[in-house]
Amino acid sequence: MNLRKKIMLNSPVIDGIKFIMLAMFCGWLIYRGSGRIGYNWQWYQVPRYLFTFDNNIFTPGPLLEGLWVTLKITACSLVLATVFGLLTALLRLSGSLVGRVLARVYLEVIRNTPLLVQIFFLYFVLAPIFELERFAAAVIALSLFEGAYASEIIRAGIVSIHRGQWEAAHSLGLSSFDTYRTVVLPQALQRILPSLTGQAVSLIKDSALVSTIAVYDLTMQGRTIIAETFLTFEIWFTVAAIYLIITLVLSLIVNVLEKRSPGGVQFT
Amino acid sequence: MTRSESVVKEIIIDVDNINKTYPGPIPALVNFTTRVNKGDVLVVIGPSGSGKSTFLRCLNGLEEIDSGTIIIDSIPLDDNEKHRLEIRREVGMVFQSFNLFPHMTVLENINLAQRLVRKKNRQQATRTTMDLLDKVGLAEKAESYPAALSGGQQQRVAIARALAMKPKVMLFDEATSALDPEMIGEVLEVMNLLANEGMTMVVVTHEMGFAREVSDWIIFMEAGRIVEQDRSGNFFSNAKKERTRRFLSQII
Ligand SMILES: Nc1ncnc2c1ncn2[C@@H]1O[C@H](COP(=O)(O)OP(=O)(O)OP(=O)(O)O)[C@@H](O)[C@H]1O
Ligand SMILES: [Mg+2]
Repeated sequence: MNLRKKIMLNSPVIDGIKFIMLAMFCGWLIYRGSGRIGYNWQWYQVPRYLFTFDNNIFTPGPLLEGLWVTLKITACSLVLATVFGLLTALLRLSGSLVGRVLARVYLEVIRNTPLLVQIFFLYFVLAPIFELERFAAAVIALSLFEGAYASEIIRAGIVSIHRGQWEAAHSLGLSSFDTYRTVVLPQALQRILPSLTGQAVSLIKDSALVSTIAVYDLTMQGRTIIAETFLTFEIWFTVAAIYLIITLVLSLIVNVLEKRSPGGVQFT
Repeated sequence: MTRSESVVKEIIIDVDNINKTYPGPIPALVNFTTRVNKGDVLVVIGPSGSGKSTFLRCLNGLEEIDSGTIIIDSIPLDDNEKHRLEIRREVGMVFQSFNLFPHMTVLENINLAQRLVRKKNRQQATRTTMDLLDKVGLAEKAESYPAALSGGQQQRVAIARALAMKPKVMLFDEATSALDPEMIGEVLEVMNLLANEGMTMVVVTHEMGFAREVSDWIIFMEAGRIVEQDRSGNFFSNAKKERTRRFLSQII
């Protein structure tokens, strides 16, 4: 194959055409399939579940309300998961045996039980004891779960920082707190940002599971609409598309952030 | 003999009979004793693995000693955290691999400890930083990131960063070993300047010409032990130990 052909085959245009052909093929399959089971497409029904626009007044429909709940849950869990992740990573790297054992137990329990069971455990067992609301229970369950994975990523980032950086900070008289805050974590964060973004994307997707404890997130709203209207295909397609959009937007934002910081992220 | 014996000098580094063994069979420092007067330059030489770095790193608490005592500017380097912190602040260190903070500009690198440890405000810190950058000849690089500097420039920034803490003692661990030959001179020049200003320095180096020129005292060590310790003039002109002479003849 000559070079020219190679370039042609790898060009974005060819990629685009391949993608469109694949999408059309999938669409055709679904169309055929739905035709065979006699599915009656009613896309025109969908917009009003997203939003309505009466007399120039914008009213969000159940799907957008659900999206808002999903975003709130995700944002709160993201913050809390980062806190859990960072604390656990620091505990595992600390000199305290108790701290290390505690962190280890947390990690093993979380990583070796299903998230769904953790959500149920929090909601049905712990929530009544501590008088937690659904939303709080959902956020805590999700952050404990994602925090465990985040902590492994953060720990790997911290230990990847060259010993010389610690030694330079040490010999300048910096406290360990300042060393972490100004020298180690900013550099570690820079390195692990792609993995952490992946974890955040997982968090968004996993948040769908909180619909099982009747938190009215995007997924729950979708299920409710379908139960009432039987627009199964249209609503699930729409819900999936919305999840796809949020995760893509998140990746995009992180990408831009990454390009903007030359040497790392600054906390000072 | 460069200086009169009769001048009473203040001892600023007092290392008494320290021992250090890393996990493993070979000890890194054995019954190591030395004293450094304020304003003197002590150069430590010896073959690879003889414990030169270990000695330096013990002086600022980067490594723990197993036994013996280290006193720096009347502060014992013991288990007391306050003492250790105080010594870290008073002893600057320059590394073979520079160890600048890559995510900060030159200015931020040098300001950092002044702000956090010496509690200066931004203006005061920046003033000191710019003075120091002037001194090492890099004032125009204040806003650069380390990656944009040559090795020699990075090492001069690292020296300025250590000096910004106004240390009483400076440690140099093979500060020029990672540099291309044409950049060694610019770093040695800065070190020379410091020595002439009366900075107390402990220097590990393979640059024998520089060692000879700048040192007041020389320690030659091997396998964690001091083989010979003498005033610079004596050491180079008539070393007492056969082992020292052999080492010198190999390296010069
Ligand atoms: N972190 C460590 N863990 C285990 N052994 C070590 C460690 N650092 C140094 N050593 C050992 O201690 C001895 C002294 O090492 P040191 O680095 O002090 O020598 P050096 O004189 O600085 O050598 P070089 O000229 O190669 O830098 C060597 O045998 C070395 O292998
Ligand atoms: Mg060494």
